[in-house]
Amino acid sequence: MNKLILISLLVVGSLYAGIFDSSKKRGVAPATDEFYIKECASCHFAYQPGLLPERSWVKLMEDLENHFDTDASLEPEDNQKILKYLVENSAEKFTNYKRSKKINRSIRANETPIAVTDTRYFIKKHREIRKDLIIQKEVKSLSNCMACHKTADKGSYSERDIDIPNYGRWDD
Amino acid sequence: MKVFILTLFLSLSVFAQSSEVSNYLKTLNSEVLKQDPTFQGFNSKRGEVIFTSKHIGKKGKEISCVSCHGNDLSKKGENFFTGKDIDPLSPSVNAERLSSLKSVKKWLRRNFKDVYNREGTAKEKGDVLAYISSK
Repeated sequence: MNKLILISLLVVGSLYAGIFDSSKKRGVAPATDEFYIKECASCHFAYQPGLLPERSWVKLMEDLENHFDTDASLEPEDNQKILKYLVENSAEKFTNYKRSKKINRSIRANETPIAVTDTRYFIKKHREIRKDLIIQKEVKSLSNCMACHKTADKGSYSERDIDIPNYGRWDD
Repeated sequence: MKVFILTLFLSLSVFAQSSEVSNYLKTLNSEVLKQDPTFQGFNSKRGEVIFTSKHIGKKGKEISCVSCHGNDLSKKGENFFTGKDIDPLSPSVNAERLSSLKSVKKWLRRNFKDVYNREGTAKEKGDVLAYISSK
């Protein structure tokens, strides 16, 4: 009898685990690859691979010589290494993460945005932010996630962790 | 003893890395000599002019190396466009600087393009490296 209870508990437990596993994780999966972080985050925030779909990363990595009008070129073998990491962890692979799923869904099939800031979901979420708060020196542009999303480096973009310089918390 | 061996190993590896960069400077030097047999060697003063003068860069904005690295190379800089912190460029406070040839070549290539909108010449690269080493 005890065995039966134990088995039922195990079955129920694993069912729950299954639900939690596939159910909503809130942000995006954190960026973990040290080589990616070293190379890309020497100039800007280490955008999580789950912020864009595979085709976007492929397109972006094809022209690092003209990377948002700066030269970010890498040796071919280093480019390949980073591309592999981005593709293996791109938004479509993390549909259990809310932000990855929403960003990816907001991109039409005939579009290949290379900036997270160009995706419909991103634009919609930031459209109410006043321009002067964006261009101020503490922020510079909407690409600077960490300026307001204090836990962006952990893959969390939740509202309670927003602190806009010279404005404060943001309530939707 | 262990610490001694470790220290020895570390200092050797630093030495090995920086010799990689000094060999590169020798290569640049002979490249310049081919063009100009009277060349007297790299000069940190000329390097400073290269580093501090403003140009219309790749983004179409007037910038210099100082725009991101700042005037005092022993202090941290900040990317002019993204706001990202940049570790100090001076090798005297940041041992990583000028230690890896791959890294030196990468940043010279990228940053000349970003600031000058073209590659640097052998002479310019040598001069600017002389300037950074002197800081």
